[in-house]
Amino acid sequence: MAMFLKNRRFVLASAVAGSLLSPMAAGAATLNVMQTEAPRSMDPGDQTATYTAALLDPMYEGLTKRDPDLSLKPALATEWSSDAAGLVWTFKLRPGVKFHDGTPFDADAVVKNFARHLDTKRGLAASGRLRTFLEGVTAVDPMTVQFKLKTQYPAFLALLATGPCLMVSPAAETAGTIGSKAVGTGPYKLAEYKSGEYVLQTKNIEWWGGAPKGEDEINWTWTPEPSVMNMALQTGDADVVNPFPAAFAQQIKANPDMTLSATDGSAVFWVSLNTKMKPLDDVRVRQALNYATDREGIVKAFMQGFATPANSPLAPVTPGYDKSLAPYSYDVEKAKQLLKEAGYPDGFSMSTIVQEQESRIGELLQAMWAKAGIKLEVRKMEGGVWSKAAFLDPAGKEKDTIGSSIASWSSGVNGADLQFRPLYHSKSASPAGANLGFFSDPKLDELIDKAASTLDEKARNAIYVDAQKLVNEQAPHVLLFTKQDLFATRAGVKGTWVIPGGLIIVKDARK
Amino acid sequence: MASIETEIAPRRRALSRALRWMAVHRSIALGGFLVGLIVLAAILAPLIASVDPYAQDLLATMEPPSWAHPFGTDDNGRDIFARVLYGARISLLEVVLSVGLAVIVGVPLGIMSGMSGRYVDQAVMWVMDILFAFPGIVLAILIVSVLGSSLINLLIAIAIFSAPVYARLSRNLTLGLKSMDYVEAAISLGISRRRIMTHYILRNAIGPIIVQSTLTAGTVILSAASLSFLGLGAQPPLPEWGAMMSDGRNYLGLNIYMSLFPGLAIMITVLGFNILGDGLRDLLDPRK
Amino acid sequence: MKAYIAKKLLALPLILIGVSLLVFVAIRALPGDPARLMAGPEATQEAVDNMTRRLGLDRSLPEQYASFAYGAVRGDLGISIKSKLPVVDEIAERLPFTLGLAITAYLLAIGIGVPAGMIAAIYRHGWPDQIVMILAIAGASIANFWLALMAMNTFSVQLGWLPLLGASSWRSFILPSITLAVLPTAVIARMTRSSMIEVMSQDYIRTAYAKGVAPQTIYWSHALRNALIPIITIVGLNFGSLVGGAVVTESVFNWPGIGRFLVDAVRYRDYPVIQGVTLVAVTGVVVMNLLAELLIAVLNPKIRFD
Repeated sequence: MAMFLKNRRFVLASAVAGSLLSPMAAGAATLNVMQTEAPRSMDPGDQTATYTAALLDPMYEGLTKRDPDLSLKPALATEWSSDAAGLVWTFKLRPGVKFHDGTPFDADAVVKNFARHLDTKRGLAASGRLRTFLEGVTAVDPMTVQFKLKTQYPAFLALLATGPCLMVSPAAETAGTIGSKAVGTGPYKLAEYKSGEYVLQTKNIEWWGGAPKGEDEINWTWTPEPSVMNMALQTGDADVVNPFPAAFAQQIKANPDMTLSATDGSAVFWVSLNTKMKPLDDVRVRQALNYATDREGIVKAFMQGFATPANSPLAPVTPGYDKSLAPYSYDVEKAKQLLKEAGYPDGFSMSTIVQEQESRIGELLQAMWAKAGIKLEVRKMEGGVWSKAAFLDPAGKEKDTIGSSIASWSSGVNGADLQFRPLYHSKSASPAGANLGFFSDPKLDELIDKAASTLDEKARNAIYVDAQKLVNEQAPHVLLFTKQDLFATRAGVKGTWVIPGGLIIVKDARK
Repeated sequence: MASIETEIAPRRRALSRALRWMAVHRSIALGGFLVGLIVLAAILAPLIASVDPYAQDLLATMEPPSWAHPFGTDDNGRDIFARVLYGARISLLEVVLSVGLAVIVGVPLGIMSGMSGRYVDQAVMWVMDILFAFPGIVLAILIVSVLGSSLINLLIAIAIFSAPVYARLSRNLTLGLKSMDYVEAAISLGISRRRIMTHYILRNAIGPIIVQSTLTAGTVILSAASLSFLGLGAQPPLPEWGAMMSDGRNYLGLNIYMSLFPGLAIMITVLGFNILGDGLRDLLDPRK
Repeated sequence: MKAYIAKKLLALPLILIGVSLLVFVAIRALPGDPARLMAGPEATQEAVDNMTRRLGLDRSLPEQYASFAYGAVRGDLGISIKSKLPVVDEIAERLPFTLGLAITAYLLAIGIGVPAGMIAAIYRHGWPDQIVMILAIAGASIANFWLALMAMNTFSVQLGWLPLLGASSWRSFILPSITLAVLPTAVIARMTRSSMIEVMSQDYIRTAYAKGVAPQTIYWSHALRNALIPIITIVGLNFGSLVGGAVVTESVFNWPGIGRFLVDAVRYRDYPVIQGVTLVAVTGVVVMNLLAELLIAVLNPKIRFD
């Protein structure tokens, strides 16, 4: 061990002294943002985490972008068109754009960016969704690219504004450094990435859009401790805290020095029921669980009221959401009645697996369902263990007696297909996808597929209404609530907004 | 009348003797009192607490202490007082199980190692050194992550990192006792090794082992709390003190009672075991 | 003496091999698949398989261990799955923070614990003794994550005296190092007290008293010097528990050290990081223990840790 220390010219004293003397990002020109978790990568195409996406947002851009009113606008592409079938898309690229490392942005760069996702050997974390529908990308001329799709994909333009489609410098990609050193085209560029401490971004004065509107620097830090996030906002160590812990939200609301933002989110929380396991294979039992659930109670206790009780598998912000649905009231008697009909007059026992941060939902359900005679065993698991258990196949879940899994899913503004297909389509049954309860209904599969190939928005949304009704009736999930996106800022901070699902945008924020 | 007086007099004398003993051995008395308090709380929990420690009331969450809820209520509206009382059962179980397991594994290994020749001794001590080199929490994180987080696995993890202490202790005691005249005499008389280990070594080593156990008891409870903090502790809705405290920390700045009362309970228990251990050590110390 | 030192030094690599094997096997036994975690919940099976190959997890275990061990000897601990940076660099970036914290905490613990223990010993059974011992036992009875959060709430949020998080200036060291120092201070105070008491009952100290040597001289030069041995033992042998405490303290204070790094790495099943950090931490503990043993052997040739 001594060897490697010497090799690395590791000098303890000077390192400590250095860290004490170097003034880290201080002063009024720095916007301090604190989130719950560290970035997973500096490469937007190699991560699928919302808070990483938020951190990378000031540095990267896609062909399209979302505006604060959530509409899609041109970004690195200036205009586009598609053929009548919606399978060939042509994009004109914005001229005069350069990556932070000086590499010019052109058709070649776009082609390389998508080629890396289509290359199975590259194995990037966010490639999956693109590969399901994208055939290939070619350069028509230096400033024009053409996308060929395997199938129609209604969320295509929306997807172009997200992680896997954000443009990274081809030079950095070739050098293999993009994962640790961000190089994009955005209004901010990476100044320093200390993976244990912070990510510091500085203004990119050569940005194609003119002088960036935000502060000189953005400094990102993170902690998993809710009380610490609250304290950081109180002391001013953080100007923006995202997501803000619901427990402290009322307190912040009452404090004139701080501002709380609560907007409709897109994360739908649910309990996925193992439909391959007795007695949950009986739809009456699944409905009984839905009736035995006091959604208002959970919203109040777990989210301090900052959530909407779920009446559909879709979040209210998702296109196609039907707010008139009202499938399940809180009715313990009705639940008991259904259990009796299903042959369980004395109730039954089942288990649920849940991650640390959501374990209270498990505890709440435990007490609620007990009133209907259902004994729920809550298995709280650390994240890595949970995801292994949640994505088991039917045999594995049978063996470990995993009756249900508590989790959430957020597809939000990117279209209902991204909610229905991974969660309810029979082809997405785990381990292949996030249909954790192996729900299978040919009629629903047909609806999902039909909607995906319907380009007319109205007709598509009508199909999704049918799909919502079907899911509600078949109850593969006990749908709980849609979380509101909470973030808090010091009172002076202006220009911060959030894309439903918790992706905070701070590049235009001033304090 | 006379008969009563004659009965009281010796009792009084016994009492005053006990008081005098306690005055001399203040640590044992105080430590014993605190530990006894926790044991009593554990046994009498259903009698003292009038409410169910698992009963939720979502209309009365995070209330400050009141007559109805002497310690207030938690984030699910459960009575913290009842949970702390029932939690005493779990904490004592933690102590008994992990210390017991560590002793059962560590002591025989140590004695065997001390009695055997140098190769067995070297090998056992090598393994113990490796385990000992791991910072306890780090080893526990690994073990609990492998086994899955539950109270029992947590206790196994704590037992594994405590065992080397007992192995070392009993080995060193064995080495010392082995060279005592009466043990050497027993060996030369041809008494079986097993009998020597149990009758001559273990019997004489038991004092220091008891002292060490009392001192480890406190560490067990604190380690369990730390592991709960890292998300590797008891499963809900068990009223385990570490888990309660760790839940409560998410509300610090809003409600202090959720973490304060389980924290105090932990402190009193650990304090009790530590004082008792100190006292026992003084009492059993042959040098005095 | 030389033979003893040689024997101890020879045992070092053996222990390190054992430790590395144990860490390696334990990590492989962790439920949870790093490839699945990296690929994310939306990933297809194909993406997970690709990720597995990219991370080298499709190779056999002996192969994986061989490459890990060969790398470790050359000072290469692999690439972090999560950050894609070399683990050695990541550790080198964080180690100074952990060591800085540990050293500050130890200095505090010795600076407070030794005098407190001496005072307790000198006024044995008097009120200073009682107070020191009550504080020492109480200090060893508090869960340090809670103490940390309470201290933050009091000194940073309520009073605004000290920085809340991070390691941006020397003032940032105050809260975490005090929190971390509580337990070793308590242990050192108790240890100092009992060894001082023992030393002071020795004949040569009594002789010194009889000769009329000033009590201050006796305490500081005669008694303390001999009481030092058990204190060194405790400091050396408790390094492991200090590292353990650092894991928790760093997590609370957002301290950029290797303790928090380890906790995060376990969360994401970042195998190379867990391996590397554990190996470095354990090496540190083994070396500290060894130093303590050797120092004691030099100070008092009669004591040997065989």
